Amino acid sequence: MPEVKSSFREVLPKQGQLSVEDIPTLVLCKPKLLPLKSVTLEKLEKMQREAQEAIRQQEAMQREQQHEPK
Amino acid sequence: MAVTMDPLFLAWSYFRRRKFQQCSDVCSKILQDSPYDQAAWSLKTRALTETVYIDEVDVDQEGIAEIMLDESAIAQVARPGTSLRIPGTSQGGGPSPAVRPVTQSGRPITGFVRPSTQSGRPGTMEQAIRTPRTAHTARPVSSSSGRFVRLGTASMLTNPDGPFINLSRLNLAKYAQKPNLSKTLFEYIFHHENDIKNVSTQFISKTHALDLAAMATEHAQFKDWWWKVQLGKCYYRLGLYREAEKQFRSALNHQEVVDTYLYLAKVYQRLDQPITALTLFKQGLDHFPGEVTLLTGIARIHEEMNNVTSATEYYKDVLKQDNTHVEAIACIGSNHFYGDQPEIALRFYRSRLLQMGVYNCQLYNNLGLCCFYAQQYDMTLSSFERALSLAASDEETADVWYNLGHVAVGIGDLTLAYQCFKLTLANNNDHAEAYNNLAVLELRRGRIEQAKAFLQTACSIAPHMYEPHFNMATLSEKVGDLQSSYMAAQKSEDAFPEHVDTQQILKNLRQHFAVL
Repeated sequence: MPEVKSSFREVLPKQGQLSVEDIPTLVLCKPKLLPLKSVTLEKLEKMQREAQEAIRQQEAMQREQQHEPK
Repeated sequence: MAVTMDPLFLAWSYFRRRKFQQCSDVCSKILQDSPYDQAAWSLKTRALTETVYIDEVDVDQEGIAEIMLDESAIAQVARPGTSLRIPGTSQGGGPSPAVRPVTQSGRPITGFVRPSTQSGRPGTMEQAIRTPRTAHTARPVSSSSGRFVRLGTASMLTNPDGPFINLSRLNLAKYAQKPNLSKTLFEYIFHHENDIKNVSTQFISKTHALDLAAMATEHAQFKDWWWKVQLGKCYYRLGLYREAEKQFRSALNHQEVVDTYLYLAKVYQRLDQPITALTLFKQGLDHFPGEVTLLTGIARIHEEMNNVTSATEYYKDVLKQDNTHVEAIACIGSNHFYGDQPEIALRFYRSRLLQMGVYNCQLYNNLGLCCFYAQQYDMTLSSFERALSLAASDEETADVWYNLGHVAVGIGDLTLAYQCFKLTLANNNDHAEAYNNLAVLELRRGRIEQAKAFLQTACSIAPHMYEPHFNMATLSEKVGDLQSSYMAAQKSEDAFPEHVDTQQILKNLRQHFAVL
């Protein structure tokens, strides 16, 4: 549609001073790339999770044993 | 009738196949029948050690106690470029916080976390305690031995008959004389029992044993570098860094081993002498040219000193030697991303890491971000979807939603963005960045009070970020509350001294106050 195209033309001032007022805008925090985890760290976290799980099971067992005699 | 395998051989086979639990079970049976079977005993110690073994080079956690009661500090205010503790002391020109987010200790976030990078060095005790306890922030563990102790007690609790070896009843001097048993025993005590005091007493007896042996068999025994390295490791765990240094140095005189260089460098880093550590790494490289772990060590120090350009150089050297090195790829990738080249970052993350088989939430999140900023919109949302499905913890989910919020802001869908940031907070209500971004969105909707509340929360959670302080200053200035605006601007200046807009606000306010 060439007619539509010709009806809009950009305006670029060729003379005089062009000034833009700088308005301070609020800033967003930046996007965060997530750091990859090292093998040791993953192993450490896995071990810790397993250890916690083991302790929880142990405690559950003990609680059951305590309830049984009644 | 089936022929049964020799139990010791079976145990060995289990050990080689890394089935440590079965191995130790078989060994226990052998030991029940013949309690003095040294082979089975030694194998069981090794199996138990392997179940909890962590590479000692990587483990370096500083607790609050270690940071606050640091006796080895020489100067309170280090000269620029000589200290790891003050993040701003580099001349390398790190990325500004305006483009790259910073961690709680004021360093740009890195592309890779290790156990040691997790705990940054907070400046004061107050800051150390106030930091929220999440995996991503730099709150130090209360004491470095805390985690080791916990792992140790867990393994003991699960064993109904009590610990395998009763250390207090062990005649260490006797074992120290048997070289084939003493090394496995040492590793067991060091890794499994975490009883450093006992290990070092074993060592004192060990050196006594060496003394005796030395008198008998000349000085041959004194020259065992392995024991010296172990002694150094014990000293390091005990916090006696100078003694550890001596042991490692003397071990290096006997035998050049890469590990010893790494341990020694760790000591220097703990003593806050990065330059010495760097020269040490370079000496190590003279003996072991192109050694990847040494090169990585250099790169890490440069990165910690905010000298990102040279860190990248060294990471590139690492990739020349080992082009599947995940840490190097991740760090270079994140540098390209924050250096405004997301296409190249995308290449690192996709064609190197993804094709290599790294498959986790973090990688897909990074891929999604890189795709979005590199204008490959077809892959963006599917990457984020996969990241969400792979997220292992609430914090990870929160971070993925936070980044999705940025994508929403980028396509102009502010309602979606608002929802994403809300979801971030639902998963992790300590997420300061999300609070700040929500505040900005609220202000666009014209809800000033709500925005102010969000900003205040963000400021109190993350005083190290400049964004909430700066936004607070701008907002207060608009409302006419010049005093709070000035205070917030000053905090923003502390966090990011070169920020031009903050300077502008401060200048305006000072003029205002002068007129009054």
